[in-house]
Amino acid sequence: MTSLHLLLDGFAAALTPVNLLYALAGVTLGTLVGVLPGIGPAMTVALLLPITFTVPPASAFIMFAGIYYGGMYGGSTTSILLNTPGESSSMITALEGNKMARRGRAAQALATAAIGSFVAGTIATALLVVAAPAVVAFAISFGPEDYFALAILAFTAVSSVLSRSVVRGLASLGLGLVIGLVGIDQQTGQARLTLGIPQLLDGIDVVIVAVGLFALGEALYVASRLRHAPPSVVPVGRAWMGRADWRRSWLPWLRGTALGFPFGALPGGGAEIPTFLSYAAERRLARGVAREEYGKGAIEGVAGPEAANNASAAGTLVPLLTLGLPTSATAAIMLAAFQQYGLQPGPQLFDHDPALVWGMIASLFVGNTMLLVLNLPLAPLWARVLRVPRPYLYAGIVLFAALGVYALNGSAVDLFVLYVLGLLGYAMRRFGLPVAPAVIGMILGPMAEIQLRRALAIGAGDVTVLVRSPVAATLLALAALALLAPLLRRLPAREEVTPTG
Amino acid sequence: MAHGWRNGPQGGSQDGRRSWWRPELGLAVVVLALGVLVIAGTLDVSAAASRLGLGPRFFPMLVGGSLVVVGLFYVLDVLRGGHGDPEESEDVDAAAPADRRGVGLVSGIFLAFAALLDVLGWVIGASLLFFGLSVALGAGHKGRAAVVAVVMGVATYLLFVKGLGVRLPGGPLEGVI
Repeated sequence: MTSLHLLLDGFAAALTPVNLLYALAGVTLGTLVGVLPGIGPAMTVALLLPITFTVPPASAFIMFAGIYYGGMYGGSTTSILLNTPGESSSMITALEGNKMARRGRAAQALATAAIGSFVAGTIATALLVVAAPAVVAFAISFGPEDYFALAILAFTAVSSVLSRSVVRGLASLGLGLVIGLVGIDQQTGQARLTLGIPQLLDGIDVVIVAVGLFALGEALYVASRLRHAPPSVVPVGRAWMGRADWRRSWLPWLRGTALGFPFGALPGGGAEIPTFLSYAAERRLARGVAREEYGKGAIEGVAGPEAANNASAAGTLVPLLTLGLPTSATAAIMLAAFQQYGLQPGPQLFDHDPALVWGMIASLFVGNTMLLVLNLPLAPLWARVLRVPRPYLYAGIVLFAALGVYALNGSAVDLFVLYVLGLLGYAMRRFGLPVAPAVIGMILGPMAEIQLRRALAIGAGDVTVLVRSPVAATLLALAALALLAPLLRRLPAREEVTPTG
Repeated sequence: MAHGWRNGPQGGSQDGRRSWWRPELGLAVVVLALGVLVIAGTLDVSAAASRLGLGPRFFPMLVGGSLVVVGLFYVLDVLRGGHGDPEESEDVDAAAPADRRGVGLVSGIFLAFAALLDVLGWVIGASLLFFGLSVALGAGHKGRAAVVAVVMGVATYLLFVKGLGVRLPGGPLEGVI
C-alpha cells in the first residue's frame, strides 16, 4: 500500500504546470523523432543530456521518459504509412499495418496502434508500479558479485539476441567496452588508453558516442545507399475505428501487453522478440475474417505487436530503475543521465529519492494520455512530417549532431572524435553489427569493472567469490546459456526465422 | 543465397590474388587490432600492486583479451564466407552496392566543417555544412537548398546562442548578429 501512497505523491509532482510542460515537450519530441527516419529516442535523449546541468532531475526524467514512450508511438506511424519499417521495434507492425493502409484502412491501423499503445502502456506502467518494489525488496541484499553477474548477463544477452551472428554482437559489445575504458581510472587515478591526448583524460562523452554512432553513422550509411525513389506515404485523415475494429482489437492488445512487459524487463529481451511473438500468436489465433485477412492487412496484426512494443518499453524501466541495469540503448543513455546527476539507480534510489522515482513513474501515465491525444487527431500532421525531403532531413540531423557535440566543450577536437565514431557507426550498419550492445557496453562497462573490483577486494583475491552467492551463480549460468543457446539451435532456428524477414 | 551480389561488386575482381578480400574483413581486422592495442596500451599503465584487490590493469586486460578472441573469430567467420545483414532503414536501399563517393563526399564536407568552424563561425560554417550535405545527398534545387541552409544556420544560432545561452563561435559575423 505504501507504493500506492508514493505513487499519489508522484502524481502531485508530475502534475505541476512546469513538469506537465516537460512531459508535453518530451512526448511531442519523442513522437517527432519516432516518426522521422534516421533518428530515434536514444539519440534524442543523448543530445538532450547537457540539459541535466540546468534542469532539476525530476523534470529531466519526466521529459526523457516522454521521449522514450513517444518514440514508440511515432515509430508505428512510420511503419503504417510508409512501405518500409521504421524503428526496429515497429518492424512487425509494418507487415500488416502497411497493407491495411494500402487497402484504405490507414485510419483504423493508426487508431488501433495508438489506442493499443495507450492501453498497453497504461497496464504495463501499472505492472511496473507493482513489480518495482518487489524487485527492490529482492535486490536490496545484492552484493557487488551479484551486480557484476547481472552486468555480464546483460552483456551476453544483448549481444547474442540482437544480432543473428553472436560474434558480431560480441564485437559490438567489445567496441563499446573499449570506449568506456578510455580516461582516468576512478579508483586509482591512472590514465588509461588516452594515447597521451589530454582531452581524452575525462573519457569520451556519452553524447559524442551516441550521436556519432546513431546520427552521423546513419547519415553516412544513407549517403552510401540512398533510395532514389521518393518515399510513398499513404495519405490519411483523422485516426478512428469502428465497432468491429474495437471488437477485433481488444484481445490482441491484452495479449500483446502480456508478452511485451516481461520481455522488456529481461536483459536482451527488448521489443523485437515480443512483437514478433505477438504477431505469430495473433496469426495462429485468427478465425473467420481475421484469418482471411492475415497477410493482406489484418487489424489484429497491428494491435498485438503495437501493444507488445509499448509494454516492453515500460518493462525496460523495471531493471533500469530497480537494478541500474539498462536493457536497451535508450535505457542505457537514461542511465548515463542518472549518473550525470550523481544518482545511481537501484534499490537505494527508491529509498533515498522516492519523489524522483515515483514522480517519473506517475509522469508515464500522464505522458501516455498526452500521447493518445497527440496521436489520434493529429495523425495527418505526423504523416506530413514523413514527406520532409530526405537531403534536408539528413543535412539537418548532422547539423544538430554537430551543434550538440560542439556545445559540450566548445572544442572542435570533439567534432573529429564524432567523425571517427560516425565512421564506426557506418561500418557497423553496413556489416550488420547491432549498435545497442556497444552503447550498453560503454555505459555499463565501467560499472561492471567497479563491482568486479569490489567483489574481488572483499574476497581478498579469491576468484570463487564471484560464484559464491546463488544469485550470482545463477545469473552467470544464464549468461553462459545466452551465449551458447544460439550456437546450439542455429540450424533449425534459421529455417523458421528467414521467411518473416 | 542472397549474398552473391555482396561479393560481386568489390573492387578486387580483376586481381585473382585479392579474391578473398571483402570490405567486412576491414572491420573485423579493426576489432582484432583494437584488442591488441588495448593490451599494449594497458601495459604502460603502472599498476599499484600494493593495494588490496585489483589494480587499474586487470579489467582492460580482460576486455582487450576478449576482444582479441572475438576479433579472431570474426576474421575467421568473414574469411569462411559469413556476413552480417546490413541494417534496414527507411531511406536505405539495403540491396544497393555501397556508394563510396557518397560516403567520401559527406566525410569531406564534415571534416572541412570541423576544421574551419572556429574560423568561419557557426552561422557561415553551419550554413555551408547544411548546403554541402543536402546537395551531396541529392537535393535537386540548389537555390532552394542554399536558402534553407542560411535559414538553418541563422535560426540555430539565434535559438541556441541568444535563446538558450549555448556558446557557439561567432566568427567574422561576431557582433553583427
